[in-house]
Amino acid sequence: MTLEEAEQQARALAGAGHVEQAAQVLQQVLAGGNGPAPMWRFLAVLLKHLHRMEDAKAIQDMLVRHFPGDLPMRFDLAETLLLTGDFRRGWREYRWRYSLDHTKAMERRVQRQRWEGEAVPGRTLLVHDEQGYGDTFQFLRLLPETRRRSGARLVLEVNHETLELARRSGLGVDEMLPRGTLPPPFDLHCEMMSLPQALGLRLEDLPGPMPYLLPDPARVAKWRDRLAGLPRPIVALCWAGRPTHHNDANRSMTLADLAPLGMPGVSFITVQKGPAAEQAKAPPPGMAMTPTSDEILDFDDTAAIAQVADLLISVDSSPVHLFGATGGAAWVMLPHLPDWRWLLGRDNTPWYPRHRLFRQPRPGDWPAVVQAMAQALATLRDAA
Amino acid sequence: MSTSPASPQALQDALSRANQHWNAGQLGPAEQLCQQVLAAWPGQPDALHLLGLMAHGLGNLDLAIQHVRAACQAPRAPALYFSNLAEMCRQRGLLAEAETAGRRAVSMNNALPGAWNNLGIILQERGSYAESRSCLERSLTLHPDNVEVLNNLGNTCLRLGLVAEAERHWQRALALRPGYAQPHSNLAFLLNARGEHDRAAEHAQEAIDIEPRLADAYVNLAAAETARGRHTQALHWLDGLLVFAPGHGIGLAARAMALQALGQPEAALDAARRAVEAAPHSDEARNMLGLCLRDSGRTEPALAAFAEARSLGGPAAPRAALNHATLLAETGRVAEARQALAAALVVHPRVGALWHASLEMQPADAEVVERLDALLAEAEAPQERLVLHFALGKALLELGEDDRGFHHLGAGNALKRATLRYDAGAMAAGLRAAREVPEVPGEADPLPVFILGLPRAGMALVEQVLAAHPSLHGAGALPHVAALAARPEALGAEYLARVRPLAEGRRHVLDRVPLLHAGLLHRALPAARFIHVARDALDLGFACHARLFAEDLPFAYEPGELRAYLTEASALAEHWRASLPAAQWLEVRYEDLVRDLEGQARRMLEFLGLPWHAGCLAFHRRRGRVAGTGAWRLRTPLDAGRIGLGQRYAGHLAALGL
Repeated sequence: MTLEEAEQQARALAGAGHVEQAAQVLQQVLAGGNGPAPMWRFLAVLLKHLHRMEDAKAIQDMLVRHFPGDLPMRFDLAETLLLTGDFRRGWREYRWRYSLDHTKAMERRVQRQRWEGEAVPGRTLLVHDEQGYGDTFQFLRLLPETRRRSGARLVLEVNHETLELARRSGLGVDEMLPRGTLPPPFDLHCEMMSLPQALGLRLEDLPGPMPYLLPDPARVAKWRDRLAGLPRPIVALCWAGRPTHHNDANRSMTLADLAPLGMPGVSFITVQKGPAAEQAKAPPPGMAMTPTSDEILDFDDTAAIAQVADLLISVDSSPVHLFGATGGAAWVMLPHLPDWRWLLGRDNTPWYPRHRLFRQPRPGDWPAVVQAMAQALATLRDAA
Repeated sequence: MSTSPASPQALQDALSRANQHWNAGQLGPAEQLCQQVLAAWPGQPDALHLLGLMAHGLGNLDLAIQHVRAACQAPRAPALYFSNLAEMCRQRGLLAEAETAGRRAVSMNNALPGAWNNLGIILQERGSYAESRSCLERSLTLHPDNVEVLNNLGNTCLRLGLVAEAERHWQRALALRPGYAQPHSNLAFLLNARGEHDRAAEHAQEAIDIEPRLADAYVNLAAAETARGRHTQALHWLDGLLVFAPGHGIGLAARAMALQALGQPEAALDAARRAVEAAPHSDEARNMLGLCLRDSGRTEPALAAFAEARSLGGPAAPRAALNHATLLAETGRVAEARQALAAALVVHPRVGALWHASLEMQPADAEVVERLDALLAEAEAPQERLVLHFALGKALLELGEDDRGFHHLGAGNALKRATLRYDAGAMAAGLRAAREVPEVPGEADPLPVFILGLPRAGMALVEQVLAAHPSLHGAGALPHVAALAARPEALGAEYLARVRPLAEGRRHVLDRVPLLHAGLLHRALPAARFIHVARDALDLGFACHARLFAEDLPFAYEPGELRAYLTEASALAEHWRASLPAAQWLEVRYEDLVRDLEGQARRMLEFLGLPWHAGCLAFHRRRGRVAGTGAWRLRTPLDAGRIGLGQRYAGHLAALGL
């Protein structure tokens, strides 16, 4: 079989869900150690899907050593390193996240040096958020340490939707402003997701002081009133992420998929936003549903719900982080190959001590996840 | 932000906010404000300048230059705009405009941060190194700890031949900012030039680790690999470079060189052509194309490529000039070659390799010695010094100053030896192990005639004499035997397949091959014939000692190692003579050939079963190229002065143990 034929065959097999066979085809033709880099790269992806992380990492590492200037390959390696908990090297390679074809235009070109973790007392450091809301909630925890380590006057530029929450929480920040507005003069800058590298963040440093985001007491009171009549436990649901996320098909589901969770003695509300929220108007039979999505005006409502509800059950989306950051509990439904931040082979997460992870036992198997959750939910209900 | 910037105050305010947005990486609002200003005041220079910076930041260099040029049209455009225009023009290769703008900037404000630095790099690229240096030094007095200035100053110093100073600037830049990739790569270049290839590779690796897309670092790393004979590795790094810089001229040129070293001449020529296409202004690429064309027998196009590379005037120009002159000599145009070298020495009077080549082709005089002495006194780099030592050694011996001559030859050999890695024990063991010949399938084809012997024994001369015969093709020293020796079972068939097309109907193809492989060649090609060229041991020892080889002969630069090699290799030759069939092995003595060309030529033709051909006596007028160190001498008739030099210098040679 020629290399081209093997690649075609492997892609067809992988497309039809036969990942194991696809990997075998590639491994056979690549056994001699030669072959084009894109084929090795594809093999590494397949091996990751098969959870053969050490094999995948060895290939990606080899590719990076052979082609140091191929930055997308370095980003591949970064994700695998972080997924397997190698933060030291992982954050270092994560710096190439704006070197991919679809991210190049997103890099923010700041005309000042990047902060590398050094002490810079008396100077002004601008930290700016990037990427999605969930990332921002997750990494805001690093700001107090950034302030302490730099000794700088700390300015935070953050997305509009998170601004009030961040202001209320303080986070050691001297000045906060919404994304896109003019910051005061500053000497150094750092992207929020570059803070782990600058700070040398280790797994054992997590979670740090919890909770680090403070809800609005008035909103908490509002939601206490709103949910007062519902029998406990009250479970908030979120079943779909932002539809424009590159991995959305892999992480999102429908409310109907969650039908087995409906059981006597459990109340459900929704924190789902976007078009998927509509589904709450026709909940699965047997699910005691109070659709609340329309009443959620902003993240302060979600943060308040985290204080009032007993649990969030959610796919990998921003409410998971907001619940965690404000001290709420969540059960997270994860695809077989999850995003790097959830690590592997564990049902808890160092980022949020009250969270519990439910992983697909095999690719695409949401029913097994929901089944396991239904059992756990029944136990929770009975213990209450 | 919504106020219309109509009043002067509002306009100033809008511009100031635009600048702050730009600093904060908020390009949207920055651009919007600039456009508002320009709507209220078309051609407003500050807004245009800022738009230019934005276009530059987003990689649109042409648009950036257009905006900043327009900004500089304003009567009150400040020095900064000219300085930025200068740098943008430099990046675009518009060096004349860059220089004008750069000079304007420093004349308007001689304390502007960055302005002297920008002008300094422009002058460096224009080849005005002395002035470049003074600009960069001036910049350094304004910003003593600026690592970019230090890096640039190092580059200018290197081009001025101030190697130690260059190194000092780069080391200081690294002390100030250890994570700065550029000085690491520059140090790698310098260390390569100095022959310290291991350290060069370390610095280049470090540079790549810091900045994975620093193209120069890949080129320098590949050069370190090539110098250490690791051509596959070199090729590998160059492929790594071309992954992200597919049109990199020097990288493509270096790739062609690596392919050539790996014995893939057609692939090398193809790579060199691509290099010139991708980088038409690269002197390195053109020079490389010349080498590839030369090695594939295309003399005229090769000469043209060398001439073009020479006239591009970059760092490869002296090498291109040397290649041009050498190829002229090798193809029999010795007078033209002398003229070309003389012309090249007018342009590059400090390049030792040109003097060295020139002394190969014409007699020395006292004036040449004086000039070479002066050059040697200034030269810093060992690579440069060793060439001068060899040139001086040759000149002084010609002028009868034997003691000084041998002193310089000794110094040149020692410097050359220090650049090499050579394991004499392994070489001796290899020569002995070659007697154990593996069983391989034989291809009984009489096509190949192998010429072998010790270095400087006269194999090229034998080839030249025979190649003048219409039934013989002189192929030079083909790379195939050395390359195929690793796969001995395929050698016979594969060798014939590669060589047969060269014959073009002639009965035999002559190939100069390593002595090492004679036994294997006889097994793989049992009908092939061998001509072994022998020469007086003392003459041979002297010839090797006095010679800076173009070929890779690492044993030749330390007298003890040379003697050991010659002894061991002679024993191997004797072993082959005794063990190969006498009907297929002919011994030819160099001295006999020089004294009685016709008699020996007849003897060799008889051995090959060919009729006499008088053209063999006029071998030096034969068309085509004769390659190899000193091969241009094959373009002159033989004279007895080539014999007995060993006796003449017997005292000096004995002192060396030769």
